[in-house]
Amino acid sequence: MPLLKTSSTADADTDTGITRHPLAGQALSGADVIVQVLADEGTRVLFGYSGGAILPVYDAVFRYNAEHVLADGSEPMPLIVPANEQGAGFMAAGYARASGNVGVAIVTSGPGATNMVTPVRDAMADSTPLVVICGQVPTTSLGSDAFQEAPVSNIMGACAKHVFLVTEASALEATLRTAFEIARSGRPGPVVVDVPKDVQNAALQFDGECRLPIPGYRARLRTVQEARLDDAHCAAFFAALMQAKRPLIYAGGGVVTAGAAPALRAFVETFGFPVTTTLMGLGAIDTTDAMALHMLGMHGTAYANYAVEDCDFVLTLGARFDDRVAGVPDKFAPSARFVAQIDIDPAEIGKVKPVQWHHCGPLTIALERLRSYAHAHGLRPREDGHYAAWHEHIAALKRVHAMNYDRDSALIQPHAVIEEINRHTKGTAIISTGVGQHQMWAAQYFDFRAPRQWLTSGSMGTMGFGLPAAIGAQFARPDALVIDIDGDASIRMNLGELETVTTYDLPLKVVVLNNVGDGMVRQWQKLYFKGRFAASDKSLHRKDFVRAAEADGFAWAQRLEDKQKLATTIAEFLAFDGPAFLEVMIDPDAGVYPMVGPGATYAQMITGEFIPSRNAPATPAPASTAMF
Amino acid sequence: MHMRHTLSILLQNEAGALVRVAGLFAARHCNIDSLTVAITHDPAVSQLTLVLHGNEATLEQIVRQTRKLVDVIDVNSLSLLGNGTLEHGRLATGTSS
Repeated sequence: MPLLKTSSTADADTDTGITRHPLAGQALSGADVIVQVLADEGTRVLFGYSGGAILPVYDAVFRYNAEHVLADGSEPMPLIVPANEQGAGFMAAGYARASGNVGVAIVTSGPGATNMVTPVRDAMADSTPLVVICGQVPTTSLGSDAFQEAPVSNIMGACAKHVFLVTEASALEATLRTAFEIARSGRPGPVVVDVPKDVQNAALQFDGECRLPIPGYRARLRTVQEARLDDAHCAAFFAALMQAKRPLIYAGGGVVTAGAAPALRAFVETFGFPVTTTLMGLGAIDTTDAMALHMLGMHGTAYANYAVEDCDFVLTLGARFDDRVAGVPDKFAPSARFVAQIDIDPAEIGKVKPVQWHHCGPLTIALERLRSYAHAHGLRPREDGHYAAWHEHIAALKRVHAMNYDRDSALIQPHAVIEEINRHTKGTAIISTGVGQHQMWAAQYFDFRAPRQWLTSGSMGTMGFGLPAAIGAQFARPDALVIDIDGDASIRMNLGELETVTTYDLPLKVVVLNNVGDGMVRQWQKLYFKGRFAASDKSLHRKDFVRAAEADGFAWAQRLEDKQKLATTIAEFLAFDGPAFLEVMIDPDAGVYPMVGPGATYAQMITGEFIPSRNAPATPAPASTAMF
Repeated sequence: MHMRHTLSILLQNEAGALVRVAGLFAARHCNIDSLTVAITHDPAVSQLTLVLHGNEATLEQIVRQTRKLVDVIDVNSLSLLGNGTLEHGRLATGTSS
């Protein structure tokens, strides 16, 4: 992919300070202003689908790329076209999650914008920075039920971090630049800019640096960004810690977002706290580390959940006690006498579970500050042997309650597929997923050596996320091995994007773990609805996934049904130089274990047949549950 | 215990700003008893006065969520004390140090 080179204008933008923008004072159309700000903000790739109300911007992108061809002949800002706008949104999100940069999507008004609602809400729920530009009917037609008109400001206002409806053309440039600022600052999120067509066509004078005044937002952001731990606050933290024998770090997606994984690494090396991460936090710490307990929660590892039960001190980093982690907040970490929380978002402090100590500020600085305070005050709990017994206990938990599954089954177990892929990738591939059982198996059985390798719809749980997110990630990391682990039901949601993979000749690897239905729904129906599989069985569905992939141009597309051929097929699949598609017919009855049921405590965790539980056989699951 | 609370919100006068504030309360099942929007000396800024019912924890959380809205400049609570005087003060922000 030669399309992702640095654009010269973006380089110019890094010359911050008093240098005026080279285009300052020039006459540009609204559409040209939009494209210029995109370039200035470092945008390397756009995802979007055209339509009447966004045509001026698409034309401006075309002209920009034609006028700024890179030395190797490629475009500085290629526009990647999905099958459906939802695909563009998830591509931008995959790009953002894999790179840490703002993902940009451009769509037309009406249906183009409403198809973007799901990715925008998904990005909001998982704190992913996006800027979404929507075409809109001309200002004179707003509110008239015009062709392809939708109330984007109202709809997106409830879903996004912020939405701008640009009614004054003179504010367009400042609005778009401010949209990037809001998307990437504080707790990141999606910002939607709704641009009426007459604003795109307006004759404007380019400024080069103007921004909107957003005094409330900037003041609150400054308060948080400048917050530092003072001596008294550090002293209170260590006063509690020095009483503790069994400290545990509960790390969430905020560690990844903050780029705080190196600081966490150093903190763990200094203090010797075991670390468990949320689904969003996978990769915040190398999962192969002795101190790493992998994921906690509803489908967390048994040893992580037992460690949560046993710990007496919890340090929460960029995590929010979501119901998939703390289904019963009062009973979460029941032995912990002290719960501490560091987060960038003031609204998350104590939102679900009261905490005894908190800090709202930049994570890396806070962790470094705690380390330097301990060093200055000779606090060396690890060296002093405070945690020796705890470390032994953790090692025993990991050994005795290790992840396991039915290795002797004649049927292909999904866990075995993940393990076999992981044997090749060794925790270095970028993995995206849909939502459901395959997502949980991937979370549980892959290693993640570094952050931004794990792209999954955590909070919204959007089926169909995996394939377009993988496409976006491949544009962010052209040289990386990107694998979409999908389910037969999830991939159907955005199956049209298979063609996008081959259109752009992306060397993506797509795996469909086919259990002929909505596996997670079936698992719940078995547990809570007496096995009545309402609408979750797909055995009558006729889709031939391999032929579908072949029809969309995949030169390598195979179905794996024979357990004996698992290793050779996966080796061939991963070695293929180009887009490859592998459907694996898995045991349709394979379940996701461990499982902490909805509304249940960790003490009620079911570990299944193959992971030893330390409790007496679990009490039978309730016949039904009001919890989701 | 459900208490009556009055919130004063300073809001940038942007397209859709009022909808976003009202929508945030609706999304959290918080019924607004009364709402007044007034101009201020700065034409770019409106003042909202909301009266609503709810317990302290719910109110605290909704105030924090309101402060996340980009258009919101400031949020204050005005509580009617037992002696009939108005207590005017910022609610705790949750920011530490």
